[in-house]
Amino acid sequence: MVTAVSDNMFTEDVINDPYTYYGTLREEDPVHYNELYDLWVITRHDDLVWLTRHNELFSSAVFKNDPRPPYPTIYDSDLGLYEFVREYQARQFIQHDRPAHLDMRKVVHGYFTPRSMEEWRPMVKEVISDLLDEAEERGSMDVMRDFATPLPLLIIAEMMGVPKQDRPYIREVAEKLLYVGRGEPWRMQNFSEGISEMIEYVKPLVEKRIVNPEDDFISVLAQGEREGVFSRDQVISNSSLLLLAGHETTINLLCNGILSFIRNPDQYDLLRSDIEGMYVKANEECLRHDSSVKSITRIAAEDVELRDKVIKKEDRIRWFISSANRDPRKFENPDDFDITRWPNPHVAFGAGIHHCLGATLVRVEGQEAFKAFAERFESLHLDTTDDKLEYQPSITFRSLKSLPITWN
Amino acid sequence: MAQERKLKITVDHDVCVGNAMCETFASNTFALNDDRQSEAVNPQGDPLAQVLEAADNCPVSAIIVEDAETGERLFP
Repeated sequence: MVTAVSDNMFTEDVINDPYTYYGTLREEDPVHYNELYDLWVITRHDDLVWLTRHNELFSSAVFKNDPRPPYPTIYDSDLGLYEFVREYQARQFIQHDRPAHLDMRKVVHGYFTPRSMEEWRPMVKEVISDLLDEAEERGSMDVMRDFATPLPLLIIAEMMGVPKQDRPYIREVAEKLLYVGRGEPWRMQNFSEGISEMIEYVKPLVEKRIVNPEDDFISVLAQGEREGVFSRDQVISNSSLLLLAGHETTINLLCNGILSFIRNPDQYDLLRSDIEGMYVKANEECLRHDSSVKSITRIAAEDVELRDKVIKKEDRIRWFISSANRDPRKFENPDDFDITRWPNPHVAFGAGIHHCLGATLVRVEGQEAFKAFAERFESLHLDTTDDKLEYQPSITFRSLKSLPITWN
Repeated sequence: MAQERKLKITVDHDVCVGNAMCETFASNTFALNDDRQSEAVNPQGDPLAQVLEAADNCPVSAIIVEDAETGERLFP
């Protein structure tokens, strides 16, 4: 029975520290009905794993299947924009269920196998080394602006065949697309503007690759169109999805991970004492401890009983990775940042048929980044005070606004 | 056509996330269990090439394929 938990998930307290709020729900009411937003909030690790692996009970086609207006409320005058947003989002392959999802995923899955992603490791290392050289020359670094953003953006742009000079523009547009998980009543304006700009940008790239396929990821999607799996609109929508997903999540991993090391210098020393032995585990712990994606949403495909509650068909559901990854039933001392934790069955990438397509790429980038920091810098320090660190007011992403640091 | 070389296929359940791609690529070999994790229910179910493709497409590298008689590692 929850007594004192407010249903407002956008307060400053909850945004700054989601762990206390969702942790309380996890312990007191793990399948919680949030009346304010008319949705179920799921917070335990085992429930989340069960739910993600029973994709037939929980539809991913949220934008298509949810007839209700978005939460929190948006301006009535923006409802037309919301329809545009819905249509666009509904074309993404992650917004589909089987059997369509399987056909779509098969088109893109082979590009992201662990073996193929290993081929990108040398380039990832090189980019990291260049970015850290630049930071050392300058003598200061905002991890967000100077490292975490350019690294994955450069890699995904390379994969997508986006020319170098366009990357700052892509980032600018991507910032608008991040309004997907935000609470401002006017957010549809930014979001739909980002969508229109992304469509305009990607369209000519797609048209080129349809005629002249290259070795890049847009050509893989274009092949899907030739095979009749994707429509042209879907190719465009999925190109921009991958462009966004391919960097936003990694940005958060890198920033949140570096912050965890700053707050836990003993763990940083431990990593430095045996970099080769620890860097893979360290990256997994960064993924678990302060996960990039906080929550994911679904729509019940039928009535489902879960912990004495009945989730009705068409009810909205949001499952919280950030809470599941701190579940004491699964992890010993879950709030501790402990890079020796192994195995580390976190759900930062979800699970089941929708398990993050880019997981291996994110892993390669995170591993090499934390390794490179540890090799170069004896110690890391905040170049600001803890209370000045701010997060984006999103329930989808755990995104710092900036992370200025110094080092020895 | 079924597999003639005898295979030993191991799926690491500490790692398997139930992505089910193995089942897609080698549907006679892999099936999801009640926990929705992959099991190699019939190691001889599909041609070797298909089994290796399934293992290669596992997003978390949970599948190990060996020759059951010689112990030779075939994947990864």
